[in-house]
Amino acid sequence: MNQGIRIVFSDLGKRYDQRVIFRGIDGTAEPGSVLVLTGPNGSGKSTLMSILCGLLRPSRGTVQYLDGRGEVARSEWRLHLGVVAPGMSVYEELTARENLRFFARVRGLKHDGASIDRLIERVGLDPERTTPVVGYSTGMRQRLKIAQAILSQPEVLFLDEPGSNLDPAGQDWLEAWVTAFGAEGKTIVLATNDRREMEWGGECVELGR
Amino acid sequence: MSSLVAEALAVAAKDLRTEFRTRVALNALGLFALTTLAAVSYTIGPYRINEADRPFLLSALLWIVILFAALAGLDRIFVKEEESHTAPLLRLSARSHAVWLGKLVFNLGLLAALMVILVPLFTVLMGLPLGLGAGWLVAVLAAGGFALAVTTTIVAAIIARAMTRGALFAVLSLPLLLPLLIFAIQGTAGVAGGEIEIVHQSLRAMISLGGIMTIASAALFPVIWGE
Repeated sequence: MNQGIRIVFSDLGKRYDQRVIFRGIDGTAEPGSVLVLTGPNGSGKSTLMSILCGLLRPSRGTVQYLDGRGEVARSEWRLHLGVVAPGMSVYEELTARENLRFFARVRGLKHDGASIDRLIERVGLDPERTTPVVGYSTGMRQRLKIAQAILSQPEVLFLDEPGSNLDPAGQDWLEAWVTAFGAEGKTIVLATNDRREMEWGGECVELGR
Repeated sequence: MSSLVAEALAVAAKDLRTEFRTRVALNALGLFALTTLAAVSYTIGPYRINEADRPFLLSALLWIVILFAALAGLDRIFVKEEESHTAPLLRLSARSHAVWLGKLVFNLGLLAALMVILVPLFTVLMGLPLGLGAGWLVAVLAAGGFALAVTTTIVAAIIARAMTRGALFAVLSLPLLLPLLIFAIQGTAGVAGGEIEIVHQSLRAMISLGGIMTIASAALFPVIWGE
């Protein structure tokens, strides 16, 4: 049985030249729960998230992905996770369908046109829309980024300010979806300062104290 | 088809699709190539160069136009991914070697398109002689073009990850591109002047350079790309 993935990090620190972003950060993201990363602007929430998903290496400390069989190799992390973050964009010149097809192909996923269209509908977009993403509103782009993140049905989901740019209906949909995702035993790491989003979480790591 | 090749082709197809939508690199390449070609043919033309000097001088001019036109579209390969913030998702989605191979295929495609348009025009307008025939010229262009594409692809990846892009490009490009350019010019001059030995030597050198750069790029790219 799939036991999900635990992310354990200890004594994490990051510095750029002489500037210390944070240090001594510990925490655990458990399957089926939401780990909240919070702190004032510039405290390093997005940097910590980039370290946890493998895009950046920490200056000190360790990050481990643990599944039922033991530690997952760092080179394999990307196969288990999906990310939605303000600093990560989809391709503006492509349509929503073309973007998702591309990400499915480079991840080696078997997705036909119908399953891509269902995913586009699931995030509240129109699969028949043939205009490139450059013509989308910021809220529609956010929905497409969420579709990209869940394309591979990942066991770990990183969400950096996921509700930003979503309208109230979109935020309700996001909350219901995150709750359902957690109920499936998935691991969620959420970076936010939004009080409503913070209530989704259990354990909280506060940066910049 | 192996999954790595399939992923690489997906990256190349995505780049081609986005390029055909915006045509930034195609326009930059085309404009640069045609402007330089027009300027060179107008100011020098086919008759202002001595018959004896023609093979070498015209070959040098041809490769200078190819090189600079190719460099004009270089920032579309990796810099665009960083500047439009699409690189992080690409890093998380695709294996680094698939990205490198896909970008190389895209760069080869751009260079091939440039050569297909530029070289026949240059040959006609400037009167480049083809002493050994068009087949040998195609062989020299293919070997030189492949080595040029491999070299500029890895240089583009390094530039995209560096903060001081302009200075770094000059420093990196010179030692990597200079030997290639010399052999490409010699090979083309050999074809034009009918000297088969020089063509053979140049082809061997360019294939060796291309092979070395391919192996070095495959080994270095995961580190540069940030895996």
